[in-house]
This record gives sequence, structure tokens and C-alpha cells, in this order.
Amino acid sequence: MPDLSPLCALGAATPRRVTHGALTLTETPECGLASLALRRDTPPPALDLPGPGRWQAADGLTLIWTGPGQWLVELPGAAETDVAATLVKKVPGASITEQTDGWVLIEIASSAGAAPIERFLERAANIDQARFGPGSATRSPIEHLGTYVLRRAEDRLGIWGMRSAAESLWHALDTIAGRLDSRG
Amino acid sequence: MNRLSGGMIDRNQTIHFTFNGKRYQGHPGDTLASALLANGVQLVGRSFKYHRPRGIVAAGSEEPNALVTLREGARAEPNTRATMAELYDGLVARSQNHVGPLNFDLLAVNDLLSPFFAAGFYYKTFMWPRAFWEKLYEPAIRRAAGLGELSELPDPDAYDRGYLHADLLVIGAGPAGLAAALAAGRAGAKVILADEDFRLGGRLLAESDLLDGAPATEWIEAVKAELESLPNVRILTRTVIFGVYDHGIYGAVERVSDHLPTPGGAVRQTLWRIVAKRAVLAAGATERHIPFADNDRPGIMLAGAMRAYANRWATGPGTSAPVAIFTNNDDGHRTALDLMARGVPVAAVIDARRGVERQGDYRLLPEAEVVGTQGRLGLHSITVRTSRGSDTLQVGALGVAGGWNPNVHLASHHRGRPVWDERSLAFVPGQGGPGGLIPAGACGGKGSTAEALADGLRAATEALAELGLTAPALPLPQAEARQDNTAPIWHVPGKRRAWVDFQNDVTVKDIALAHKENMRPVEHLKRWTTLGMATDQGKTANVTALAVMAELTGKTIPQTGTTIFRPPYTGVSMGVLGGGDTGAHFRPRRLTPTHHWAKANGATFVEVGPWMRAQYFVRPGETHWRHSVDREVLAVRAGVGLCDVTTLGKVDVQGADATLFLDRLYANAMASLKVGMVRYGLMLREDGSAYDDGTCARLAEDHYVVTTTTANAGPVYRNMEFARQCLWPELDVQLISTTDAWAQIAVAGPKSRELLSRLVDGFDLSNEAFPFMACAPLTICGGLRARLFRISFSGELAYELAVPARYGHALMARLMEAGADLGATPYGTEALGVLRIEKGHAAGAELNGQTTGQMIGLGKMVSSKKDAIGNIMSRREGLAAEKRLLVGLQPVNATDTVVPGSHLFAQGAPRDLAHDQGWITSAAYSPHVGSSIGLAFLEDGANRMGEVIAAANPLQGSEVAVRVVPSHFVDPEGGRLRA
Repeated sequence: MPDLSPLCALGAATPRRVTHGALTLTETPECGLASLALRRDTPPPALDLPGPGRWQAADGLTLIWTGPGQWLVELPGAAETDVAATLVKKVPGASITEQTDGWVLIEIASSAGAAPIERFLERAANIDQARFGPGSATRSPIEHLGTYVLRRAEDRLGIWGMRSAAESLWHALDTIAGRLDSRG
Repeated sequence: MNRLSGGMIDRNQTIHFTFNGKRYQGHPGDTLASALLANGVQLVGRSFKYHRPRGIVAAGSEEPNALVTLREGARAEPNTRATMAELYDGLVARSQNHVGPLNFDLLAVNDLLSPFFAAGFYYKTFMWPRAFWEKLYEPAIRRAAGLGELSELPDPDAYDRGYLHADLLVIGAGPAGLAAALAAGRAGAKVILADEDFRLGGRLLAESDLLDGAPATEWIEAVKAELESLPNVRILTRTVIFGVYDHGIYGAVERVSDHLPTPGGAVRQTLWRIVAKRAVLAAGATERHIPFADNDRPGIMLAGAMRAYANRWATGPGTSAPVAIFTNNDDGHRTALDLMARGVPVAAVIDARRGVERQGDYRLLPEAEVVGTQGRLGLHSITVRTSRGSDTLQVGALGVAGGWNPNVHLASHHRGRPVWDERSLAFVPGQGGPGGLIPAGACGGKGSTAEALADGLRAATEALAELGLTAPALPLPQAEARQDNTAPIWHVPGKRRAWVDFQNDVTVKDIALAHKENMRPVEHLKRWTTLGMATDQGKTANVTALAVMAELTGKTIPQTGTTIFRPPYTGVSMGVLGGGDTGAHFRPRRLTPTHHWAKANGATFVEVGPWMRAQYFVRPGETHWRHSVDREVLAVRAGVGLCDVTTLGKVDVQGADATLFLDRLYANAMASLKVGMVRYGLMLREDGSAYDDGTCARLAEDHYVVTTTTANAGPVYRNMEFARQCLWPELDVQLISTTDAWAQIAVAGPKSRELLSRLVDGFDLSNEAFPFMACAPLTICGGLRARLFRISFSGELAYELAVPARYGHALMARLMEAGADLGATPYGTEALGVLRIEKGHAAGAELNGQTTGQMIGLGKMVSSKKDAIGNIMSRREGLAAEKRLLVGLQPVNATDTVVPGSHLFAQGAPRDLAHDQGWITSAAYSPHVGSSIGLAFLEDGANRMGEVIAAANPLQGSEVAVRVVPSHFVDPEGGRLRA
């Protein structure tokens, strides 16, 4: 272990968490992230790869479709490890780039089912919720910031945003959740 | 309060409000307008130009007159329509546009001067002296003619935005809209029903007609209950659909808290972007008036509005005196009947048509016209001309019924042209409007309740069929099916002024003058007279104006022109359009990994695009930014400095063809770059101009990291993606940005190697093992994965050390701690700039899109042995013949300042464009040189070393004599960075 102490994207030693009514927002620094792009003329890996607009969990990984032949791969709990090296073993011959520190993950959970999540999402992103059930993932701007939004479950979202703008993204999401709570 | 029977107000609760400081009472369900009328207030404002006393004209969003300033202090909102302001306890409203009290406006003198204030008056009158316009004329005119005033205080309220998706958007919740929403809701479509009112029902709320033999409210409540029970239907009241945009996107504003004293923790308004596959436009119709002499007095209203106030709000038109109706259609008679049924005395119905008959027990004056009115602050009497002569009627109010104009506005938003319907004497939506928008009901010319209900169902059925859904059988209630039989009587000719557009004080005479001045196309008419402008956008005026113009030209109305509309349908506040945040969070910002460290260590920050970068670090005793910057620069030159350079763009490039890809992208050769080495690279635009510079590090045979300037990190990545996907899709290349992933810190200065040696885990930093322009992965601080690049922007021995971003903060602290005895000093963007100017490195000021590789002294880098983006174009005559070259400048008098942006002239040459020899791109005080220095593009610069030229700054009237020197002020041989 290096003798340096890391900071979370929101600038503190410990992740930030806030609850507004039924919604809880949690900064999640422990999730590792890597990009995976298949090279030309290499056989597809033995992974169940999701198609456009979808994410898929398999073999301890969560794969998020990001473009033709491209995925982001979540490695839960692996942020402190060399995620690219881990992934190379599973997908040899692919182009893999460590992305853990390029992004901030904010998990949003509802304690009252899908409704608060849907009300939150309709204020956060221009996403047709009729086509955004669990298993869906899409790239969407939120308050001018590029993000990936994952519908992890009826009552849970995961939002990946750029690390350097973590403070602005958190402010945007926190404000939306706070205002929904004030509306009752 | 003087209330009639019935109505949809909650008489169990009394709420208080003030108008111009006087206290009044109303009930929940009232608007400010209905409550004012119930309290006998007819005079509510002064007109725009002539300061004529004005009253409430309408009962909806078309109101042209009753504009008030609502609320106080920072929340004061001018130009609020009293007809749309829901009454709440404690509401405070003030009238507008008067000097002195409302009933004695000193600027009413304008009305006496009205012969001088005809349309076009300003254009012709205030022409000279020219200098008077800005200082005298314009302020005086703005004071005299205008609407409300802004508080000029920051808006204390919050606004937000949201996105909704629907199969069917139903715009308007009157009979057509409710029928459409119910049909679509039952069919299982995802429906949004929006209405600007706070109650569903639309015009049904204003009428006394029965549906299936029962009050209409029973049917409305039943439909509302069913719609609310359907999970696929969403009802948005207090929501105006203000515009139709491309691809079925509708703009909407929901007035979330405008009906409350303050929003509390909620937002005031929400801007909704609604994406709808289809939309039913059930926006209803707006009644028009009939201009006649002095038709603008308080108490003169639209007849349909008078009926609405009586039926829905249980109030007469603000007077206990009898009321008259002036009409050209049967609908005016309907108003008379409803008023009488509620106990309002009706003096007469004046019908301009021939051969009409009474429909009830009232005095009918057929073939008659109102030709004059009397009453200074409110209507006292009217003069009526009948076939038997003139008569004067003592009345306190007059309802005017001139027919109904369908609300075609949204159907016009994609330049859809309304078409003239001779049967209803109105414009109805035509072809060519927004795709997927289906008009229904009164806005489509189907104005009776029975027609509107059926047409709403028809429109929904059509929309559902297009969506592949089947409309259910929907039994519709029995409803009235009257036709108005409107006659084409558009105004009453006369010598006195007859208002067409109340809000802009435009009269029939003004239109005649426009005609006389040849402002005949309706577009010219509008701009010449200001007709149809401002908050009501001519909802009650436009068609009447067209009719008057048609009469003057001897053409038909459709021949004269059509009137179309642009968004927004009603006024939309800038606050809600801006949405989101103000202040610090107005736009997103990006923070470097060492931001918090820098903040704790005295940094002043500067915005660099979205980034916040440390500009310089102030130490105790430093009173001027130059003290800090000079110290930082000298520290780098003498010891070691640390600068967060994370903001430079980083792109990870992999793939079997990565080398070929980069060789085509960079103007210089990249194919020969060895693994473990870095090369400076220049990218050109397709036109051959210099675009961006940076480094390219080869980490493996098929793996590179490209860096870009901070400003171009996004554009270069985008261009690379374009090249990958579109220009050379056959290449096996994969790209991804890693800008944020790595915290990168420049460690620069003669002691940088010594400092780094204290952090690396057994890595050989010797010049032999890790020479200038080397790169390598390594570990530091006991196993942290890192990347080291031996590159220099300052001209000193320097490195850039990259670690996962989460460790940036700790790395900076560790470098400072480990380098304390070496004089380790953090430096910001100012010192970074001074260092690079001293070294003669080009940056954004030199790479401004108008310069070439040759100009910045890198012409030889543009390879002629290969093709790359821009290489061939850079050799075209216009660029190759460019003689301006990057040089250094030093002031002849060492205390003079070199000013960037100054233009260069040979000594003695005229200071004009013909003799301009270049310009200064960058300048700074160089503590190393001991004077101000600059970089400049100078004509034939290579051959002018030592020459003294003039740097002219005509904007500030200054000029400095400067000597031309090489652009490298520091270590021109480059020995330091290779040390």
C-alpha cells in the first residue's frame, strides 16, 4: 500500500451521503471503472456483453454499453486495484484503459419504491422513462455535464459523472432531491 | 363585495388583498381581476402611450389592459395580468404607468397631445440633434410610455426544469381537450393534459349551459376523477404550453407556487420540456371586440368575459348600474341572458346586424351601433346610433361581442399559415404547421360545446390511430350546439379615436395612417404602429387590425395577409427559462485534484474555461500579485516548482493501427517514436493553420497517451473521434479521454530530479537511464502506480508526474514536504505563463487559428514526407508566403511595459494598417530578464534581430520602443532541460 492517503472526488477523506425524504444520494468511491473497446478482428470475449442502452452484470463485473464495440466496466470494490490489469485477464486482446479516477459514481436509492426515482429522473435528465426500466443505461447530460445514468433497479439509479466536476454534479443532484422533498 | 349568486368561489373563506394600498376581500377561486370587479374596482391601470384610464377587458391570458405589478420588494413582478393572478391571502398589487395617483395621472396630458403622438411620431420627430437621443429623448420617452418597472433586485426565488415524454399531449382542458384526454387515457396511451388555468374545464367553467341536463362541473369533475385514476395520464394545471419546437418538443411553464404568498422551499415555476409523439391543440378561442369611438373606457369589456365573471366568479362588471351589450352575433345575446339570469340589469342589446330578434326579455336595438362613450375614470353612458337616430344610454358597463378568433398560435409555430374560414369569419389552423399537432374544438373553428366535444374525440382518435392504438367508444354528453351567426362588422367608423390594440394604444386612425404612409403589408403595419406587440401579442387585436386594413385597401382579409405567431404564447419569465442556479453554480465548474490543497495554501483561482486553476499563491507579506508571481518564477529557475497541470487534455490511444492513426493526425512524424519516449507534436487544422500542440508519449507498441492544451482538450478529442469514425474507419484504433483520471503535477527546476528521487520506488532517474523526453510507468511512495514524463514547458530540467487523481492532493503535499529543503514552491498559471514566455513556447495566444507552424518557428516540423491533416494545405501559396515570424521583444527603456495586443511598426512609418508589421501576442514581466518582455509575430522577423521598432497601443494612446530579440529569453541552447 502506498503511504499516501486518497481523497474522494467530493474532496473529503470519506464519501458524502445525504438523504432527502425517500431519496438517499451516496458518493461511491470504492467502485473501480475501466473502459473496454474490442479490437478489430479479435474474437469476442467470453463475457455476456450488453447491447445499446443496456447494462449487464456478469462475473462480478457490470458492463455498460457506451458505443459500438465499447463498454465501461464497473468493478465493485476494486477502486484501489489495477483494474485494467484485472480486466485484461478476462478480455485478452482488447483495448482497456483504467477510468476509476476519471469519474465519480453517485448512487441514488429510494426507500419508497420507484415513484421518487422517477420524479427525480424527470427533473434530472431528458430520458423517456417508459423505456428506462431496470437494466437500462444511457448517456445523458445533467445540468450541462455529461453523465452515464444506470437504472440499477426500480428504486435505484447509478450516475457516473466526470470527477473534476463532481462538486457541480453533486450540487445539481442534491438540489433536485432537496426540492422534491420540499414539494412533499 | 358585491357578489352574484352561484359561481366557483369558496364563500366559506374570505381572503384579503390590497390594490394600490387599499384593502379588499375576495374568496379562494378568485383571480385578482374577478376580486377587483367584485369590489367595484373598474379602473386598474393607465394605457401605454396616452395614459388613458383602463379597466379589465378579458377574463383570461389574452388580457391587454389589466397589467399590474404583483408582490413587493425583490419579488415584485411587473406586467402581471390580473386575470391570471390567482388570489391568495395577503396579495399585494399596484397599478402601473402613471405619475401621481392612478385616478389623477399627471402624464394623462399625453392624451391631450395625442394628435402629435400618432403612429410613427417618434421616428419622425426625435431626429435631431442626434446627441439628444440617448441622453434626453429616449429616457423621457421610456418614462412616459411604458409598462411596469423591474425591481432591479436579484430574484429571490428558485426555478427548475424537467423533461416529460408522452404519447399524446393535450393542450387545453376545455370540452375538446377533456374529451381527447379521456379517449386517449382510456386507450392506454401515455397522456399529458395541460391547461394554463388552475381548474380543468376551460370555457365550460364560464358558461351556464348544461351537459346531459346537469351543470357542466359535474361532467368535468367526473372526467377529472377518471383521469386522475389512470396511471397513464398526467394532469398539469397552471401550465401554459408556450411553444412548439422541432421533433415534437413542446415548451411548458408550470406556475408551481405563483398562487402562494411565497414558494417556501419549493420552486416558483418549472420549465418543462415535453416530448410528445402527437399533440391535440385544444386551446379554445379568444373573443374579439369591435372598435368604436372611445371604446377603451374602464367598464367596456369583452362580452364573453363579462359572462365568465358572472357565471364562474359570481361578479358583475364592477358596477351596480345597468349593463349594455354591443354585438354583431348571437353570442352577445347569450351574455345578456346569462347576466339577467344572475340578476345583473341589462339596459339593452345593441346588435349591428339587420333582422335580428330578441332571445329574451331585454331591450333590443337592431341595426344599431355604439358611436361614443362617456365617463372619465369609468363608463357612465354610451351613445347609440340606430336607424331612428341617436340615443344615450346610462350604463356602467358595456360588453362587446365581435365574434371569436380561434387560438391558432401554436399551430403557427413552424410557420404554419392559418387560413381564412368564411363561414366563421375567422382564421383557423392551416396546413404546414408543426407535424403531429392536431387542432380540435374552438381553436379549429368548432366552437359550440357539442362540436368541441366531438372534435376533441375525433382528434384523439386520429392521433391514437397514428400511434397504432384504438380509441374506445366514448359516449359524449348532450350539449348546446348553437352557432354564433357572426356578421362581418369589424369597426364603427367615426371621427374620434377607436382603439384596436388596447395594450399598445393603436387606433383605427393609426392603421389608416399606416395605410396612407404605404405601410401596407401586415408586417410593416405591425412594426410601424407597434400593433400586436408586448405582453398580449395582439390576441384581441390582430385580426381586427387586418380587417380594418382590408377595408382600407379594398381587399379581402385573406388577401390582405395573415397573422402568424411565434413562441412564446404568453409571457415567460427569464428566470424560468434560465432555470437552475445563479451565482457560483450558474454553470458547472471543474476542480483540479489539488484544488483543496491550493485553497488551503493561499491560492488565488482563475477560471480557465470550466476549470478553476490556481493563478498564484500568496505568501505572508506579499501585497501585489507580481510579488507572488515573480517569487514563483525565480523559485522554479533556481530550485524546484510544482504546478498542477491536470487540466491539459489526455487521450489514451490504443490499437494495432494507433501509430498510423497518430502519424496522420500530427503534422510531424510519429511513426519513428520509440516506446518509452515522448515527442512534441503539432496538429494542424484542415486548412493548414496551426491548431493545437502537445505531447505524444508511447507507452507500448500499440499504446500512446496524447496530451492537448487545456482549452482544446474537448475539441481535439472530438476531432480524433471524427477521424477514427469517419475519416479512417478502416484503422484499428480505440480512443478514450483520461484527462480526469490522472492528477498530473509538473515538477520543474534544477532540483526537480533530486526531489523526485525522494519519492520514486527505486526508479533510475539519471540522465542516461531517463533522458529528456523519456516516459515510463513506475511506482512511488511505496507502491502507488504512476507515470513519469520528462518534458519541460519552463525550459528547466522538468518532469510531469501522473498519479490516479484521488492521490493528487496527497502527492502535492508530499512533494512540498519532501522538497522543503530544496525550496519546493507551488506555482500557478501566471508563473507558468511567464516561464513559457521566457522560454519562447507558443500557447493559446499564438495558436489563435490564424497562425501557421511556420510563423511559430515550427515550420520544419510539418513533414513533407507524409500526409497528415493540414500538411498539404499548409504549403499553399497564401500560407507558405507568410513572412511574419515569432520573435522576442524587449523594451529599449527597461522600465517600459510591453503591452500585448500592441501592433508593430518600423520606426518613422505611419501608424496605419498599410504599414502594420505584426502584433504582440504575449507579454509579461520577466524576473529572469529584469524587464517586461514579449512574444510577437513580426514581418520578416528572422532578419530583424537587434532592430528597434515601435509597439503602438492606439487604444490607450501609448507607444513603446522595443528591440527585436530571439524568442528564447532563457537557455536558447536548451542545455538546462537536458541536464
